[in-house]
Parts: sequence; structure tokens; C-alpha cells
Amino acid sequence: MGLKDALNALFGRTTLPRADLDSLFAVSTAAVTMQTSLGLKPSGRAGICFKPIESSRHDAAVSEIEDLLGFASAETGSEYRIETDEYGFIWVVLEDPDFDDLITGVHLVAQTLIEHAFGTYLLCAVYRFENSKPVYWIYSFKAGRYYPFVPEGQMKRDNGYEFRLRSLLERELPLEKDVEKWYPLWGLPL
Amino acid sequence: MARWHHDRGLQWRMGVTLILLMFVYLVFITVLAYIGVETLFLLAIVAVMLFFQYYFSDRMVLWSMGARVVTEEEEPRLYQVITRLCAVAGMTRPRIAIVNTTVPNAFATGRNPRNAVVAVTTGLVNRLEPEELEAVIAHELSHVKNRDVMVITLASFLSTAAFFIFRNWFFFGASPRSDRNSYLWWILPLVALAVWITSYLLIQALSRYREFSADRGSAVITGHPSHLASALMKISGQMERLPTEDLRKVEGMNAFFIIPAVSGSTIFHLFATHPPVEQRIAALEQIEREMGG
Repeated sequence: MGLKDALNALFGRTTLPRADLDSLFAVSTAAVTMQTSLGLKPSGRAGICFKPIESSRHDAAVSEIEDLLGFASAETGSEYRIETDEYGFIWVVLEDPDFDDLITGVHLVAQTLIEHAFGTYLLCAVYRFENSKPVYWIYSFKAGRYYPFVPEGQMKRDNGYEFRLRSLLERELPLEKDVEKWYPLWGLPL
Repeated sequence: MARWHHDRGLQWRMGVTLILLMFVYLVFITVLAYIGVETLFLLAIVAVMLFFQYYFSDRMVLWSMGARVVTEEEEPRLYQVITRLCAVAGMTRPRIAIVNTTVPNAFATGRNPRNAVVAVTTGLVNRLEPEELEAVIAHELSHVKNRDVMVITLASFLSTAAFFIFRNWFFFGASPRSDRNSYLWWILPLVALAVWITSYLLIQALSRYREFSADRGSAVITGHPSHLASALMKISGQMERLPTEDLRKVEGMNAFFIIPAVSGSTIFHLFATHPPVEQRIAALEQIEREMGG
């Protein structure tokens, strides 16, 4: 706990960490490794999850995202939809067979939200991979790190496979080291 | 950081309260030293007391409230809600406990974020809409993030000492150190009482300010001050209509925390202590206006 954190605690200031996009693109090379080593293919689907907030500027940001995605999809042929999940979070779900275009799309949405000063409300980006079952890589915007999530039926996850993914990608993907922070996201809309 | 995330006025008031508290304590220590009390011995006793309180308060509070820590499998929805809020706030996820009572309430305990537990009552879960429940949990997370247990424990350190002297004065009174100061010896309980009362009031003010801070924290984390406002309205309305049996149960819970050191530091009720709900709702509405601007 640094001095700034200590002062924030002393004065009861709740601060939110900023979104960190630096390592977002790292999943691109990791995708190649996963395909060659495990036969895991990108499903062509990704989602960005953020928390809607009570502000008219927020609605403006969302409609700008829609405009931008409209332009982008006209160019790259990617598709998108916007959903609100059962916890009230907004998901922008992107679909594009080209994995790099998909990452660019995710970056675009995140960047737009940050430009409108809603970067602190970005939760995560999720990339779906699959062979026999879905495998997700979750990018936490707050930590700027990835972690795997392999759901297995209702409220269960395949920890063995997740650890395997970790050891495979330790070198090329900035991973969340604290396993306790590998928080699951059940009922993903992608 | 958005401008509405902070309230400078509130932080000033908190700062002034802390300075006043330090001043009272400084005077107290000076008087103790002048009279010739074994100050170190006394402070050591209080330090040990507070150490135990600091380390075991979480378990004690959970036990006394009948709260049961639940696993993610048992309460998947609650854990999903808290997980997402923690991801937004960039903090470690505390555990969740459930208190089986119809009284709608929530509290946070634990000396640091890693040991924290956020407890909600079944009455709260049943009565609130999901977004209101989320706002209440965010309020408790703010308490955890702001380390309110630690802040209040430290703030009440000498207050506890003063109370201790006042209560055990006869024990101290039996052994005055020197004849020179023997008449001062009789002033000791009065000084201790005065210090205890003033510091008690200051700590009460401090914990009210920290309630306001946690309300703002909830607004910052959820982005919806109105959700907490409607939760507070609902809870306060429900509170009045509850059968007396449950109210007595609530009273019983509060009675557990009689001495100030315990009442302030170990537990942060959503509702049971000051400030009045109307003021908190007004503050939340103000935040909502700031957000629009």
C-alpha cells in the first residue's frame, strides 16, 4: 500500500483504476501458439464488458460506439451486437473470422469509452476459443492482464485445463499471476 | 478521475476531525505524563486489547451476528455481483456471508481487503431489486477499500485508553507514584472522562463522514447514485413496518457494542448508525446532479 493509497483510505476517497490497453494485442501471437500446441481455434467471437453509468454523456458514448462499429463492420465485414446481461452490464459482442480484426475492434470500443472518460468503467474483454468445448481468455482492463476461463457445465470450471493454458502461454501472454483473481464470468453472451 | 468522484468539503471536515482528535489525544498524553501515570504500561495494555480486537473482530462480529460465510457454489449470483464490482474497483474480492433474518441490513468487516467479509441479510436480498442490492454491496466494498476498520481502530486507540482509565481508576488510584502529585491524581478520572467524551463525539462524527464517503464510493463504483438512494429509502421504510420481535433482535445486536472502541471500529452498518437516511439520500441526489454537469 503506497502513500497515495494510504491517503485515499484515510480520507475515504474511493478511486477506480484506469483501463490499461497496453497488453491487449498480446493475445494475437498467443492465438497462434494455442492453435499449434492444443488445436484451439479462435471462434471469431469476442466481447467487451462495461458498466453503464447514470449520465447523458454515457448514452452519447454508446451511440458513438454504435456508429464506429457500423463504419468498421462496413469495411472489415465484421458483425456486432450490443447486449445487456442479467447483472446490468453492457456487452459489445463482435464477430469476425479474422482474429486480428477482432482484436482491433475490441481496441476500438475500449478506446472510444476511454476517450469519453468512461475508461474506469471498462470491466474486461473476452475472447472465445474452442476445440471440443469453449475456452475463454479474459483480459482485465484494470490489471492489464489475461487469465483463462474454461467453464464446465453449471458453475464448474476445468481448472486442470486452465493451468495447462497458463504453463503454455506464460512466456508470451501477460498473465494474472494471482490465481485468486481469476474470477469467473458465468453465462457469457458469446 | 471525474470531478464528481470526490467531495472536497467532506474531506476537509474529515481532516479537521482527525486533527481535533489528535489534539485531544496530545493533551491527554501530556496530562498523563505530568501526573506520572505509567503511560507506557497503560498504552501497552490498550495496544494488546486493540490488537486482539483488530485481529479477531471479524470472526467475533460474524459470530455475534449469526453470519455464515457462503461459498460461490451456494450463492453464485451474489458472488457474480461482487466479482464485477471488485473488477471495476480494482480490488481483491472479499468473501460473502449471509445473516438469516428478515431485517434488511448489510455490513462489512475484516482488517484488510484480503480478510474482508461483506455480509448481507436474507431480508436485504429478498427485498431489494438486483441493482439496489448491487449498490448496497458497493457501499460495503467502499468501507473495505477505505480500510474503515483500521482507520477507526487507530482513531479510537486513546479513547479506549481514556475509558479504561476512567473505569479502572480505583486500580490506578491505589498506587500514586509520588506525594508531590497526589492531588493531581484525583483529577485523573475527570480528565479521562472528558477525553473519552470528546473523542467519542469526534469518532462518531468521523464514522458518519465515512458513511457519506462509502455512499459516494458506491456511486463511484456502480455509476448509479440513484440505486443506493432507492435502496436506502426501501430499507428505511421497511424498517418501520417490521414486527417488534425483529426490531428487538436488531437492538440486541447493537447492544453488543457498548464501549466506543468496539461500536465504531468493528462494524459498519448500512443503516443502524447515523447519519440520517434523508441526509444520505440528499447527498446521493447531489452526486447525481454533479454527474450530469
